Amino acid sequence: MLLDTTSPETIHPSLWRASQLARSGTRCVDTGYPSLNLQLPGGGWPTSSLTEMHVSSTGAGEVRLLAPVFLAAGKRPVMLIQPPHVPNALALWAMGLNPSQVIWVQPDRNADALWAAEQALRVGACSVVMLWQSHTRNETVRRLNLAAQETEALCFLLKPLASAQDASPAPLRLALRPALGGIDLTILKRRGAQLDSSIFLPMSPSFVHRQNASVDRRPVAPTGIGTLRPELVG
Amino acid sequence: MPLLALEHFAPNWSGDSVSVVLEHERVLVMSRAARAAGIKPQMRRGGVLMLTPDAQIHDRSPTGEEAALQAVALALLQYTPLVALAEESTLLIDIGASLALFKGIRALCRRVKADLRDLGFSARVSCAPTARGAWMLARSGGGRVVKMESMARRLDVLPALVVPSARAFSAWFEGIGCETIAQLRRLPRPGLQRRCGRPLLDTLDAAFGTAPEFFDWVVPAEKFEAKLELFGRIENAELLLAGAQRLVIQLCGWLVSKHLAAERVTLLLEHERGRTARPPSSIDIVLAEPVYQGDHIIRLMKERLGKCELEAPVIGLALEVAQLRPMAPPNESLFAEPGGNPEDQVRMLELLVSRLGADKVRRAKPVADHRPEIANGWTTVQEAVREADIANQLPADATSSLRPTWLLAKPIALLLRDERPFYSSPLRMVQGPERVEAAWWDTTAARDYFVAQGQSNELYWVFRERVTNSEGEVEPRWFLHGLFG
Repeated sequence: MLLDTTSPETIHPSLWRASQLARSGTRCVDTGYPSLNLQLPGGGWPTSSLTEMHVSSTGAGEVRLLAPVFLAAGKRPVMLIQPPHVPNALALWAMGLNPSQVIWVQPDRNADALWAAEQALRVGACSVVMLWQSHTRNETVRRLNLAAQETEALCFLLKPLASAQDASPAPLRLALRPALGGIDLTILKRRGAQLDSSIFLPMSPSFVHRQNASVDRRPVAPTGIGTLRPELVG
Repeated sequence: MPLLALEHFAPNWSGDSVSVVLEHERVLVMSRAARAAGIKPQMRRGGVLMLTPDAQIHDRSPTGEEAALQAVALALLQYTPLVALAEESTLLIDIGASLALFKGIRALCRRVKADLRDLGFSARVSCAPTARGAWMLARSGGGRVVKMESMARRLDVLPALVVPSARAFSAWFEGIGCETIAQLRRLPRPGLQRRCGRPLLDTLDAAFGTAPEFFDWVVPAEKFEAKLELFGRIENAELLLAGAQRLVIQLCGWLVSKHLAAERVTLLLEHERGRTARPPSSIDIVLAEPVYQGDHIIRLMKERLGKCELEAPVIGLALEVAQLRPMAPPNESLFAEPGGNPEDQVRMLELLVSRLGADKVRRAKPVADHRPEIANGWTTVQEAVREADIANQLPADATSSLRPTWLLAKPIALLLRDERPFYSSPLRMVQGPERVEAAWWDTTAARDYFVAQGQSNELYWVFRERVTNSEGEVEPRWFLHGLFG
């Protein structure tokens, strides 16, 4: 009788039931999407922790997804380490980043990219560290996660969608696929119950639909979210 | 520093080797390995060679010891401006005014010890209310006392022969049964002065605080120059770091005593002079923010030394300061900022640049130009760009034109299928066109940009080049120029 009423979080703050979402021990940054906030432990992007994003292809909206974060970044630098293409400062500026705070690191060797990410995290002077990797070993991810725990920065590791099948020690793993008028986001791993369906995030302001918002091309909310539908459509 | 005579030949970071120092052809001090090999003080050269044929035997060099002591004194200037050389390889520093800054006696002693270890010397550190008292404690094993009474208690039990001027009379002291300082002080003063002279009484009075002490404080040189001759030929750049660290510690002491901060530091690696004379190779370290503390310089040096390849074995190191600036005290804020202060950011970028190279770490520097590839300018982080310059180059309105997050380094020509551009799937134009027509003075860019959507909803930034051929007809060619990340 007593066991049933005792919730695990009263025993220790980092305990949770498999059916509920964990509470985050660290500060979380609002993602800008209420439907996504609801599904993330702590209600936002976790700081001091590594977040893995598996992107189906470059151009799926992985940077636009973080635009609300950039707006809140303040004056601290944002590091882009080994991005797949030349970052466009004007596009980042339109997202709210001052061009002088964007640091683009493009080392010759992959080991140097990992080193740079670790240094950037250890010093703790950045607000967002984004690292692109095609293939990472588990030791590397674990080491990055440890380095991330020393700072208050948001740390994103971007990998191809193909590696979503492999196990990884990152506490939060997401998969991104482009969708009409936004992106489809699947939570592969989180501290909480498994979420089978994907979350549709409208990219606002969705420039594609600013001109072409016609009756026949309304963004289709995916099925299976149930209670979240009103927020999504709104 | 009890092992100074040995350690200025073989610093303690050089690894344990059998080395001894001879004075008047008798062993004076030896390394730990030499002691393990059975070498004893007062042994002759032949005896040493018989026990260990490969022993490194040095003759004692008073000038070398003096230079090493000066180097240490320079390094200690970062803790107090009052540093004096004393007899028997000892340094006296007045820390009375430095205790609050360095958080107490224990912390200060720890730092001094650590610095001496980095310099390559082993040290016995002691502190006492009088300099002579501290000297006597250090000579007989070390220890820390703060109060006058406890110091007197500690000094009283020391052997009388600790005092240098008493050693000439050791036979007499032994004869009258005077073994400790306490017994020495109980002897009648006039008689002691007549027999042993004034210096003995002066030393005792100074130690117990009944007479004033006078010192010749070390004055730092006007120009910093520090050289280090290495104990052998070094071919591994990373091993040089220990030597470089010693020079940097000296530099810090000099900078602090002169109230200066270094902006640019050069480390010179002197090569062996073989058949062809080689100029010393230099490693130049430019600091965006002037520093007077060593850790950052050492971290940068570590990355640079790890990268550089030595063309010849190195036999000596020298450190020069090329640019100096008056030291600015750190600007502390009342509440710590969560992301570290701007100095931390600058240091992080310097660290990245020193390992990856200046052209690998870039910062945006937009250019007011209609061509997107020109407008998206990047420059090295070391180049100072004013915020106002950036603001001038940006378009007036961020939402006026739509730009993709990623630009391709070179536009990819697209195939045409069914009159539609094709990039892994047929592309459907969802927004556009935006006409860009510029650079008639250069290669003219006449393009119509569209936002295109692939079959699986990725967004591309494509353009149609308007080329006018000889008949004046417009022949469309499609290119992929960017991706909406």
